[in-house]
Amino acid sequence: MNIDKYEEAILNCRFCFMCRHLSAIGNVRHTEVDTPRVRAAMLYGLRTGTNSFDDGDFIDALYRQDLSACCVHHCVNHYDENGLALAARADVVEAGKAPEAVKALAAELAATSSWKMAGKGDVAWFLDATTAADKEATAAAKKLFAAAKAAPATITGGCIGKALKVLGFIPEAKAAAAKFAAFLSEKGVRTLVVSNPAAYDALTRDYADFGIKLPCKVLHISQWILQSKIKFARKPAAPVYPIADDFMRNYDGLDAPEKLLKALKAETKPFGTNDEETYCCGEGAVVLDRLNPGLVGELAKYVAARADDPKKDSLVVASAYVKKALSAAGLKAVTLEEFAAACL
Amino acid sequence: MKTSPDSYMFEMIRTELTDAVGDANVDVKFADKFGHSIDYYWIPEMWHDRGKPCPQADFIVHPGSTEEVSKVMKIANQYKIPVVPWGGGSGSQGGALPVFGGIVLDMKRMDKYYGVDRESYTVRCQTGIIARHLEWNCNKEGFSTMHLPASIACATIGGFLAHRGTGVLSTKYGKIEDMVMSLEVVTPTGEIIHTLPVPRHASGPDLTMLFLGSEGTLGVITEVTLKVHPQPESRQFRAYIFPDFHTAMQAGATLMRSRLQPCAMRLYDETETKTHVSKVFGIDLDKGAYLVFGFDGRKDIVDLQMKHAREIMEGQFKGKDLGAKGGEWWWENKYKFFYPGYMFHVPQAFGTLDTVADFAHIEKVYWAMKNVVNKEFPEARFIGHFSHWYEWGCMLYARFIFPGDKVPPNEREAAALYNAVWDKAIRAAIANGGVINEHHGVGLKLGRYVKDLYGTAMPVLQGLKKQLDPNGIMNPGKLGL
Repeated sequence: MNIDKYEEAILNCRFCFMCRHLSAIGNVRHTEVDTPRVRAAMLYGLRTGTNSFDDGDFIDALYRQDLSACCVHHCVNHYDENGLALAARADVVEAGKAPEAVKALAAELAATSSWKMAGKGDVAWFLDATTAADKEATAAAKKLFAAAKAAPATITGGCIGKALKVLGFIPEAKAAAAKFAAFLSEKGVRTLVVSNPAAYDALTRDYADFGIKLPCKVLHISQWILQSKIKFARKPAAPVYPIADDFMRNYDGLDAPEKLLKALKAETKPFGTNDEETYCCGEGAVVLDRLNPGLVGELAKYVAARADDPKKDSLVVASAYVKKALSAAGLKAVTLEEFAAACL
Repeated sequence: MKTSPDSYMFEMIRTELTDAVGDANVDVKFADKFGHSIDYYWIPEMWHDRGKPCPQADFIVHPGSTEEVSKVMKIANQYKIPVVPWGGGSGSQGGALPVFGGIVLDMKRMDKYYGVDRESYTVRCQTGIIARHLEWNCNKEGFSTMHLPASIACATIGGFLAHRGTGVLSTKYGKIEDMVMSLEVVTPTGEIIHTLPVPRHASGPDLTMLFLGSEGTLGVITEVTLKVHPQPESRQFRAYIFPDFHTAMQAGATLMRSRLQPCAMRLYDETETKTHVSKVFGIDLDKGAYLVFGFDGRKDIVDLQMKHAREIMEGQFKGKDLGAKGGEWWWENKYKFFYPGYMFHVPQAFGTLDTVADFAHIEKVYWAMKNVVNKEFPEARFIGHFSHWYEWGCMLYARFIFPGDKVPPNEREAAALYNAVWDKAIRAAIANGGVINEHHGVGLKLGRYVKDLYGTAMPVLQGLKKQLDPNGIMNPGKLGL
């Protein structure tokens, strides 16, 4: 089974409570089953027969996980309970036990794996579907490219493998990834700029795990802005609350968003009561808003309740997914691109 | 009453519970019940490890208010169904296990934080709030509960109240019972009561203290007002190595008798210093006993207290000074001891023989327990440290550890071996002036010793139980009741 690769997490997390306070779903549902401890104990129970994938409620719990990786980040040994959950989902799919909604979403995503490139040049910007749906973020990125006198080609299209991987459809994810890598090769892309942290994580980590070599360098747009020659004329007027991104903080260790805010001379204030919890409403699970919109709403409400002034505070986020979720809860959130473009 | 999920009575009761707390807040799924069938007690962990199912509740109920708790209690009384309050489920004594089925009352939905009273320096909250979340909220306002136990990440405030928990700063700020102003409690029959609003009074016996440590057997604590403290201007630590634990104990006791006011103190015996402290700090401490202490508050006062403490440690007892850095190692790593990889873990068999005694008895207790474990169970290792020091004595955090390959493969034999260690060690502790225990509670694990411990006072405890819980529904099988 795929979960066997995560033996260390199964054995060590199954009786451990030390990251309980960071279980985002556990914190909004007030449940035990939505914690790394119980998930690991249940997965251990597959071996001994106390639990099985015939239990649909167990599988639902696996698909409820927000995959923020805050617990992995917190753990002094960084036991990868996040990787364990992804492996468990892959096992669920292989066992033919994926819920119907998951199967339908995976089929829909797999069907979107094709792309178009507008413009020419060896630098391209991947405008993924999530970011493309955010018109302000898209317009801001274009404004920044113009300010840098850069005219990257724009790649649009569907799933590059991340969402399929997260749902446990590994062969389909690999196929989408291989197809995207071939597309980039065919178009002669040498540098790929991405807005979506999930896409950045897919291209920099998942593809390597899949054994797929990319023909290009990958930059998150915050990295690209930092290395561009853009002159920012205006200092941000009001203090802002940066929201740490799940992928960048917990998966990729990328500090470019913080550096960008510093370069823009933004006055920042810490959001909420701590810097350990996720405030990203299931961003790590990529399509949690499609699978379980009600739960994402609960996560966003939890975040809103921790704002100093939910109606006035300005939040800066790294992804359109997080912006959408937090905005729906009444918070004022802008993406990094929007925040930077406003300083031009 | 025990109902089968197949019976219509099960559905009748579920309907009533759903009416009380809402459909979304009554779980009857296997996955949910499984999560509440194992806590941090070694026996259910081992049972699960061996592939044996642990007893489960029939219903997991998540009340959202005190009134909902009251409704649930009335339903449970009507049908005489066991009710087991559950906070974070991280207790090590089996206190929250639904050993007779019934209702697990998971309190985490009651997590409201009402803010700090800046005149009285108190904070009020519902008891289902995770302690770390409460502390973060207080910190945001510039305060701290100063209740900082290793289980802060997972345990609820209600859990600490229910078994009289303690944190690493207990020497100055006290145990949880010293931090409480007042409680709101739902009695087993569903009445909502409030204890007196201040802890110092001469208005009869203190009902607050009746419920603290009652482990869910006398009612459900639903709200609490706690003292809070401004964050200290300065907090300083210092550590020493002494040639043996006896000398270190004398140094520590002298520090406490001096009436200086350390916020924390820990003493690790030679074995634990060598095997455990060294590993956690990542440094070589192969000889002697490690003693660490700290002071906090106004910097000038902290400096002065530290000066006098150093005179005791260095001048009087010739401790080898590890400096401030040697003390900060402990403060920075104080929770690391409890993460997997540093903490003991199944398939090992292990237990914390938490015992408290005055300075006149604490070393006798240590040696009595160590000798009996070493003699009767030569395959077990015995280590100990002394935490939570008070003016009169301290707590012994002694542990026994069997390597996994020395634990019987049969789960019943493993449980019997485990219980035998407790029987021998705890009775040795009690016979030498020890009290079980300082902060882990009694639960299922130690219930059989409560009669020995209370002696002729036991009927008083039993009478209180009978009066408050006439149907005996509250957390049956725990606290020896």
